[in-house]
Amino acid sequence: MQLTLLDWSIILVYLAGCLAAGLWMRRFVRGVQDFAVAGREMDVNLGIASLAATELGLVTIMYTAQLGYEKGFAGAAIGVIMWLVMWFVGRTGFVIGPLRASGIMTIPELFERRFSPRVRWLAGLFVVLGGLLNMGIFLRLGGEFLVHAIGLPPGALEWTMTALLGLVLLYTALGGMLSVLVTDYLQFLVMGVGIVVTSVLVLVHIGWTPLNAGLEAAWGAGQLKGHPYNPFHESSFGWGYLLWQFVFQLAVVTTWQTQISRVLSARNADTARAMYRRTSFYFVGRFLLPGLWGAAACVWFTAQGGLPEGLTSLTAMPHFLGVVLPAGLIGLVVAAMLAAEMSTDSGYMLTWATVIYNDLIAPCLKRPLSPPAQLRLTRALVVVIAVFLLFYGLWYELPGNAWDYLAVTGNIYLASVFTLLVAGLYWPRANATGAVAALVLGAVGPVAFLVLGQRLAIAPEVAGASSFTLAALGMVVGSLLTPARPLRQ
Amino acid sequence: MNSVLVAVWGLLLAASIVWYGFLVFHVGWKAGREIRDLTATLGAAER
Repeated sequence: MQLTLLDWSIILVYLAGCLAAGLWMRRFVRGVQDFAVAGREMDVNLGIASLAATELGLVTIMYTAQLGYEKGFAGAAIGVIMWLVMWFVGRTGFVIGPLRASGIMTIPELFERRFSPRVRWLAGLFVVLGGLLNMGIFLRLGGEFLVHAIGLPPGALEWTMTALLGLVLLYTALGGMLSVLVTDYLQFLVMGVGIVVTSVLVLVHIGWTPLNAGLEAAWGAGQLKGHPYNPFHESSFGWGYLLWQFVFQLAVVTTWQTQISRVLSARNADTARAMYRRTSFYFVGRFLLPGLWGAAACVWFTAQGGLPEGLTSLTAMPHFLGVVLPAGLIGLVVAAMLAAEMSTDSGYMLTWATVIYNDLIAPCLKRPLSPPAQLRLTRALVVVIAVFLLFYGLWYELPGNAWDYLAVTGNIYLASVFTLLVAGLYWPRANATGAVAALVLGAVGPVAFLVLGQRLAIAPEVAGASSFTLAALGMVVGSLLTPARPLRQ
Repeated sequence: MNSVLVAVWGLLLAASIVWYGFLVFHVGWKAGREIRDLTATLGAAER
């Protein structure tokens, strides 16, 4: 697919608009509070736009399309689970209500108040490790999309992604969360229009009835890895995996720091809860719409006699879009995908930099830094994370399925930090000994399974559930075996 | 069984497309006004 002058114009206008808006917000940053949580002035609709933009990256589109390619519509069952879990948390305020009311900037900060400074530091380390490894493949997968959708020469991939990251870095390092919120808003609009237009075009191109006939034929011919409609079927996710996903997604929406940073930037707890409720159904489309593109790619390539040499289930969707989208619209779609990539990169870089400063460096300083020095250090950390992303993201080869990689790396901290949060907020008997035991056992589980899982063929739901069970056991046994202490909060 | 599941996924797909369109226009409009209020608040604090 060759980009026309109109395509390039759309892409360049979008990029220039983002850069201008991001740099404009820089003048409002007066301290770390403005930089990290936008002065806690974010209202509900801006929160929805920012949360939606950050949590739907180009990496998301790639792995959800891969699920659609391999499992048909059943691959989007995880999105339905996320919808139900997000709505439940927004309705009840489970974890996010007391978290916002506590007035903290990062999750580990709560652990110092509730447990001890050591627990805060250890939790911060796990949060950063899990988060950075998770983010490590974002650039690689984003680049794969551009290579296959617009025929970018593979040699230009590194330079294109470096330039894109440089642009994001410029406004994120200078304007922090204020710039991220405003650019997220623009990216939310461009991304939303691009996703709707692409979905309608794919449906028009392939047709609803032929799509389903094609999926059934592909399932019959063994081209699909699972039943195209029934996620409970033994060839698809199965009951065990889906039940496990309820627990996993509950931990994600209450613990994942990039998502929680929107909760902590909200004006109050009610705003945060409303943001969750109104964003909840968005997560169905987050899996189902790119899943539709992946399923359509599967049907299209099956009709062509199978995947051509050099394509995989991950790269089939962008190649398919490059073929079916008319010239003039590919510019809008590429701008939408760049928007998805940029909004996620900026939110993640800012979040992990804030945790490194707030929870790993600040507690070790004998004297607190002056506000300008705090700001300079946090900005420098954003730059360091960008450099890490470039080297890890562009030269690391993904060992298997993208969704599995993201789930395993996320689980390094999800199980332990989720256990600490729930126990810290709702179990008065929890203490620092239990917290340290939960942190260590919760992380040992996924790391051990990463090493042994290849040899022993352990199911991901067994590996995941074990890490949550180990973390909970560590918290309960560790707390009950040591004397109760008065609450620190 | 398959036809029921196809109908369920079809409904969810249609609802997702409509919901995304609604979010872009409705939330987009309101969030734009919230950005204006946010910058006004921050600008007043700056002065």
